[in-house]
Parts: sequence; structure tokens; C-alpha cells
Amino acid sequence: MRVLVLGLGNDLAGDDAAGLLVARAVREDLRGLADVAESGASGIALIEELAGYDRVIVVDAIRTGRRPPGEVVELDLRDVGPVVAPSLHQAGLPELAAVAARLGLAFPEHSIVMAVEVLDPYTIGAPVSAPVRRALPEIARRVRAQVRRWWNEDAARGASGRTGERRARLPGG
Amino acid sequence: MSSEILIDPITRLEGHGRIHIFLDDDGEVDRAYLQIPELRGFEAFARGRRAEDMPQITSRICGVCPMAHHMAGTKALDDLYHVEPPPAAAKVREMVYDAFIVEDHALHFFFLGGPDFVVGPSAPKAERNVLGVIGKVGLEVGKEVIAVRKELRGLISDAAGKVIHPVFGLPGGISRPVSSELRERFVAGAARAVEFGKLALQVFRDVVLSNQAYVDLVTSEAYTHRTYYLGLVDERHRVSYYDGRLRVVDPDGAELITFPAREYLDHVAEHVEPWSYLKFCYLKDVGWKGFTDGADSGVFAVAPLARLNASEGMSTPLAQEAYEELVSTLGGPPVHYTLATHWARLVELVNAAERMGELAADPEITSPEVRRIPTEIPTEGIGVVEAPRGTLIHHYATDERGLITQANLIVATQNNAARIALSVDKAARALVHGADVDEGLLNRVEMAFRAYDPCFGCATHALPGQMPLIVEVRDSSGALVRELRRD
Repeated sequence: MRVLVLGLGNDLAGDDAAGLLVARAVREDLRGLADVAESGASGIALIEELAGYDRVIVVDAIRTGRRPPGEVVELDLRDVGPVVAPSLHQAGLPELAAVAARLGLAFPEHSIVMAVEVLDPYTIGAPVSAPVRRALPEIARRVRAQVRRWWNEDAARGASGRTGERRARLPGG
Repeated sequence: MSSEILIDPITRLEGHGRIHIFLDDDGEVDRAYLQIPELRGFEAFARGRRAEDMPQITSRICGVCPMAHHMAGTKALDDLYHVEPPPAAAKVREMVYDAFIVEDHALHFFFLGGPDFVVGPSAPKAERNVLGVIGKVGLEVGKEVIAVRKELRGLISDAAGKVIHPVFGLPGGISRPVSSELRERFVAGAARAVEFGKLALQVFRDVVLSNQAYVDLVTSEAYTHRTYYLGLVDERHRVSYYDGRLRVVDPDGAELITFPAREYLDHVAEHVEPWSYLKFCYLKDVGWKGFTDGADSGVFAVAPLARLNASEGMSTPLAQEAYEELVSTLGGPPVHYTLATHWARLVELVNAAERMGELAADPEITSPEVRRIPTEIPTEGIGVVEAPRGTLIHHYATDERGLITQANLIVATQNNAARIALSVDKAARALVHGADVDEGLLNRVEMAFRAYDPCFGCATHALPGQMPLIVEVRDSSGALVRELRRD
């Protein structure tokens, strides 16, 4: 099983850095369990980032103005319709998955988007706002927990004889 | 009292393109415009930083064309430090930049512009997306788009460090030479890219040119603006992306002026309107006459079609053939049909692929002499490249220690802003009459958008068929009388 944690955003533009900061926060802890990547790309260009993985968590900033800054909305790609949450990068993940499936590319069978409500993702050189900064450790914790959950599920499947060679990589046994 | 109609892409709830349509008392369009807010704070952020960090910083502003910003910034540093890169460094920069042009144009034509032309403007909305494009061109072509881009992006990474945030250009050269192994891969990548370009042109002939309805759409008055055109050209006035002089032609195709990039500010000024953050570039030599086309108006265009118009042709054989086919089919040069930009993009794709191959075959490309160390005191520097979306200018000034005192970027969308405003206005006038807003307005505006491919605030990109729009029609008291949504 190949797992990717992908932080999207722009670390020069205030709160738009949220996804990148979460990626940096989990990188060490997830060594051996997940590849952790950061990207400023958007839309169809992300197909190359995602291809080849079985499980993906995308962390990105959104600004709906309808939720308190720092709140995370977790979306399972399988539950998301053709229009995705108002992401700053308009990743259009369902479309990417559909394109990949059509072209026969290996694409994650399970993807989760953790969308962080932000205040100002547009001002170059602005600091990350206080509510978003305070929320980062909790988002990082949720990312780590989700990755471990996937490995536990994988191990359980392995125990029932379907997969198995990866059990040795589980953290803490 | 007048009323206002607002078209707002709801996925980008703040800080993104909005179309405002003001109606007069009779309910007819008084004025319509596109508002593109820009990323704030860049100038203040840059001030006091080391000039040599600018190619890295500016490439991080934009996830869509980092290499264009990196290269414009690098060239501005050459100018700032008064240092000429050695020939091999200039060639490597150009070769890598050509690879970037090819991969970006491939993405745009098939996946961003494709739904309009490959699938077709009258196809059901459910098919006007990337999947529809793949359905039409076939799986093999679809796979090749992904595979060619992957190969080229791999080459760019290996030459320049990273695709997204290149660590490549330095004042007076580049960070490392090209190995013979990498050069061989560039030769192979270029050959594949040329074949891909030929394939793309054939798709265009088969799908678009063989369909009279599409040709009629491309040449329709709705998408026609007789403006000036600006683009970089080489010493023989052929299209150039990495370097050259800037050339302007008038609406009849006659040369207005050709000048070195450094004189840009002598010829192009920015007009400010109270309703937009965006500055509208116009030609000083002609003057600002408002949002109107024709030889008396200083409105001009940049990007692929404008580059073809501003040149006297292409620098490579297959691209020149493709260029001649375009102008003989559509008339010109210049070609004033905005939607022909998609065709021009493919001509450029072939050109950049061929040029990349020529440079990769040049024995000097593997020379270890890729850096000339700057020795002069920095003052002021201007760097210009043709980004995929048009002319991009970086302008820096520093103190004697090389710390930035002033930094200004003029991006392609700014250069095109006045002409984009013409397109929006034309669509609105044809299709908006009072609260009775034709749904076709959404399509028509979107199609004009995608031909220009504006980057909103150099920040993002919309997926094809995925630009959700809202049209709000409000009466003079501000009450909502009609809302059209597409999401």
C-alpha cells in the first residue's frame, strides 16, 4: 500500500500556507508510512502528483466565510459530487480520478480532503492568522491518525490472508 | 437609476474574477467588465530582500507558471548586475524554457481549452469536460498528453532542480551544466514532443477545421477585436519565448515599433479605472482611448495568437508550415479572432518542441562554462520572457548592497486586460437585455476567458467546464429579480 499526504498551497500568501505547514508537521512522524509532498500546482496538473498511490490525504485551504477559521471539513472523495468544495486550488479531485480511471492510470482508490477554513489566503508576506495557526496541531493529529487507520485496516486485511507483507511497517506493532 | 448584474465564480468566493454588468434605465447594457483582483502585498514583501532570491520568491507566487516567473526574474538579475550569461547558459535556459512552453501548451489545449473546441460549444454540459475531450480524441492521445507532460516535467526537474520551484537561474548563468546523459534525454524528449505536436495539429484539423460550425464560431464577429499585438521576436522577427526584442504591430499587421525589453516602460503604460485593482496596459505611442479597438486605440493583446501576429513567422520548419496553414485559412496576418488563440497555441507547441531539439543537438549545450560571476554594483534590472499566457515583465531596483528597493511584475493578464474587457462587453451587449439574461452569456464569456487563459491574480486556474458562475440581476432598488447559476 502506498500512502501520500499532499499539502497544497502557497507559503508566501498568508493562510494559504496551511496545507503546506500541516505537511511539514507530519513528515517526520509518518516516515516509512506515507510519502509527504507539498505542491502549489492545481487542477489537472495534480494528476501526476497523485498517480501511483493507493491512499491519499490532501490538505488544502478553503475560504467559504461560513465557518470559523481553523475549522476542518473532512471530505471523502467517494462522497463528493462532481463539484468539489470551494478549494483555493480547484483541484477537482473527482474529475482527476475520473480522468485517471479513463486513461487507465493507477489512481488512489481512497482519497480524503481535509479542507481548512482560513481567513486571508491572498496577501503575499502576511503571517498565518492566529486561529489557523492554533488549529494546525489538531489537523496534523487527524492526518497522522488517518494514515495509521489505513495501515491498521491494511494489516487486518493482511491477517485474513489478502495482503500481508507490509505489516512489519506498522508503527509500534 | 441603473442596475448591476454580477457574475461570480462561486468556487473562489473572494479575490477572484467577477463580471459586473451595469444596465441603463432602459435595461440595456451600459458597461460590462471583468474584475480580476491581484495578490496583495508583493511589493512590500519584496522590499529589503536580496535580489538574488527573487527568482525563487516569484516562482512561488504562482502554481501555474513558476518557470516563467523564475526565468523573467533570472533575466532581470542579469540586467541588474550588468552581466551577460555565457552562451551555453543562455542555451540551456532557453532549452529548459522551451520544454516548459510545450508541456504548458499541451495541458491547456487538451484539458483546459479542449472542452470548447474538441468537444464543442454546443455539446451537452455533461460532456464539456476533460472526459469528453478524451472520448473525442481517443484514449491513446489522452494517454500521450499525460505521458509527454510527465517526460518533459522530468527533464525540467533534472535540469532545473524542481518543476514547481526551480533552483536554476542565477545572475550571469545557471546553477549547473547539462550532462551528456541529460542532453540525450532532451534530444529524445524533443523528438517525442515534435511528434506529439504534429498529432495535436492533426486533431485540430480533424475535429475543428473539418467542422464548418466551429470555423464559423472562431471567425464570428462576437470574438473579433481589431487591436494591436505585442510579442518577443528574434533578430529575424520570428516568434521567441526566452529572449529577443519586443515588437508591436498595428491592426493591419504593419510594424509600429520594435524595441529592447529594457525600454518597455517607454512604450507601455498602465491605465487605472476606479472599479478595478487591475491596471489596463496600453500603448503609449497610440494612447488610451477607452475600451475600444481599432488603429486609434492603444489597446493591445499578448499570448499565442498575438505572438504570431506580432512576428513575421516561426523559427523552425514544421511550425512555419503550421503557421502558414493558419494564416492562409483564417486570413492575415494579423488574425483578429480571439478563439484562434487555441490553434496558435499548437503552432507554438510545435515550434518550442523543434527549438528544444535544435538546442539539445547543439554541442555547446553540455559546456561546463555556465556562469559568469557578477562584479558590478547592482542598480536596476528588467527581465522579459513570453510566458505561455503572454509577455511577462519583472522589474527590480536595489540599493548598492543588492537589497530590493522596488519590485514590479507586469503579468500577461494585465497586458491582456483591456482586450479581455472588450470581449466581456461584447458578449454582454449581445446577450443581456434587462433581467432577461440569455444563458448563452455564461458559455460565451467562459469561452473568451479560456482563449486568453487569464491567471487570476497569478494564483489559480479553473478546470474546464468547471467555472461555476452566478449571474445576479438586480433592479434599481437592489432587489434580486433573477439569478442564473451554473455550478
